[in-house]
Amino acid sequence: MISAVNITKTYIMGLVEVHALRGVSVDIKEGDFVGIMGPSGSGKSTLLHILGLLDRPNGGGITISGRDVLKMSDDEKSRFRLSKFGFIFQDYALVPELTALENVIIPAMAKGMPPDECVRTGMKYLGEVGLSDRRGHIPAELSGGEQQRVAIARALVNSPDIIFADEPCANLDSENSRAVLELFKKINEETERTVIMVSHEEWHKKYFERLILLKDGMVSEDKYL
Amino acid sequence: MFEDLRVSVFLAARATQRGGIGRVFMNIVIIALVLTNMIFLPSIITGSIAVFNQQNVDYITSDIIIEPREDDSYIENLDGLLATLNRVPGVVRASPRYESPASIEFEEESITLGITAFDPRDEEEVTKFQDVMKDGNYLGSGDHDSIILGYLVAGEKDKTGDFYPSLGGAEVGDTITVRYTGGIVREYRIKGIFNTKSWSADYMAVVTWDEMNSVLGYENNVADKILVKTSGNGEDVDAVKRNILDYGVGEDVKTWEESLPDAVTESVESFNIINQISVVGSLLIAVVLIFIMTTIRAFNNRKQIGILKAIGIKKSIIINSYVIQVLFVCLIGSILGFLILEMMVAYFTAYPMEFPDGDVTPVVDFAMLIENTVLLFVSSAIAGFIPAWRITQENILDAMRGT
Ligand SMILES: Nc1ncnc2c1ncn2[C@@H]1O[C@H](COP(=O)(O)OP(=O)(O)OP(=O)(O)O)[C@@H](O)[C@H]1O
Ligand SMILES: [Mg+2]
Repeated sequence: MISAVNITKTYIMGLVEVHALRGVSVDIKEGDFVGIMGPSGSGKSTLLHILGLLDRPNGGGITISGRDVLKMSDDEKSRFRLSKFGFIFQDYALVPELTALENVIIPAMAKGMPPDECVRTGMKYLGEVGLSDRRGHIPAELSGGEQQRVAIARALVNSPDIIFADEPCANLDSENSRAVLELFKKINEETERTVIMVSHEEWHKKYFERLILLKDGMVSEDKYL
Repeated sequence: MFEDLRVSVFLAARATQRGGIGRVFMNIVIIALVLTNMIFLPSIITGSIAVFNQQNVDYITSDIIIEPREDDSYIENLDGLLATLNRVPGVVRASPRYESPASIEFEEESITLGITAFDPRDEEEVTKFQDVMKDGNYLGSGDHDSIILGYLVAGEKDKTGDFYPSLGGAEVGDTITVRYTGGIVREYRIKGIFNTKSWSADYMAVVTWDEMNSVLGYENNVADKILVKTSGNGEDVDAVKRNILDYGVGEDVKTWEESLPDAVTESVESFNIINQISVVGSLLIAVVLIFIMTTIRAFNNRKQIGILKAIGIKKSIIINSYVIQVLFVCLIGSILGFLILEMMVAYFTAYPMEFPDGDVTPVVDFAMLIENTVLLFVSSAIAGFIPAWRITQENILDAMRGT
């Protein structure tokens, strides 16, 4: 479903060139639950951003569901992310002025879902992450774990094909982390959705189906567990 | 398209609601004041022009003024002409005026001033002198030994305040001596002093037409000018003028507007330029303000903009949400501005501003009001669009990293 070939990414900081990715090729199948791991600075986030169309590589090619995504315009990429991808970030990335429910339904509204259906769907996903009673709270009134669950509900609201998560548990205690991982597992198993998750916690491994290890901007290991 | 707009409106509404009501309120007040400022000064200028025009009509020219043809010094055959004029459709009354050069003496003072003669009853229908008698009374038809003076002619005991030579504080009941150029000398009792607030009218001394006949020693059948009052409300003045010409009146017939001196017409134009400058100045303040406010706000919201873009919200939706916030501020600001303006106009209509030339009440030009409001909306929308557009161009990841 995602096929990335020989991806390179170089950051130029003044006179220094940082080679974040030096020719990464991955082939991710539909329904994979992929963990991307590796030391800090190895290029995990960079790879996730490039696969999620949040950033452009300097070289290489990417096709997603048979489309050459690097040829898309900004608006086409937006549309693609809106309807096919769900994102979960380390710092939750919720809109502070919107309530939990409003945060969840924004992508659905943008996709053109009628208002009452937006609310119904939003409530359904808030229920799935166990936050029905927090729908009217703004992010500042929610704990880190709750915020991350709102972010997960938001990522799911448009029934995406692929979920990208960059260290979603980094700011959570182990109990909340486990809950999030269980949720991912459930989503992946029940709906056959692809989940690509970056992590540096060894114990997360047991949830992954497949592990891609990065080292110095290159794939050092890629195996099904 | 409609769905996109719905998301923009939703984001704008929440940002306005939860993004700091105090800031939104301050912006609304500033827009209201800008609008008030943009309309109020011009309305005062329009108001003073209206006062000037009204004074001209009320005391100097009436609605239509008839003067001698270029080469003549007088309008001749007055009786016949007046009979014709009073028959013309739309003419309420025609009042002739005749002026004789003279000097006026009172105690130690002596000034040179034309003595104007009119028929008090004709004039009552044509001008408003009878309404502005500051002291004493207006002339009666049969008065022979009476004169009425503009307050500038009567003057003050302390002459430092006088602009023109005056009689140094002559009062109602005082007797003054008038020496006409023909050698005739008359003593008059000052029957009344008027204050029209129009400088040229207030520097007049008036006796009755009959008294002037007696001074001349014959039935006067010429005039310097004839003031014509028309029926109805101003608009048909031009039509009445055409009627007068159709009735074969061969003198120089002008509506009050045509008779305004060029200097006045030119100063009205200068005022209009001042108005334009003031409008542009106000607009500039609004535009700069909104530009800065939106820049600060969008910049502070970089992270949020980045998030929205990351989850797939189109840039145009985000930009529009900022433009909608600006338009909302403009809308509420304009409504508040109209209310403030309404109150100011109501106040200054009840208590007019006392300018030296008269009591000025603001006159709001409705077309200008609409035009300026539209201009304010358009320029504000642009001033909101540019910073929002600029900040949404930022790379998603950089924006998300920013706070
Ligand atoms: N915007 C940027 N400008 C310059 N260098 C960058 C930028 N983003 C990432 N890098 C560099 O690229 C390399 C890879 O970064 P990346 O964030 O992908 O690492 P990571 O594997 O996600 O690390 P971590 O586990 O600490 O999150 C690092 O050396 C980093 O310093
Ligand atoms: Mg990272």
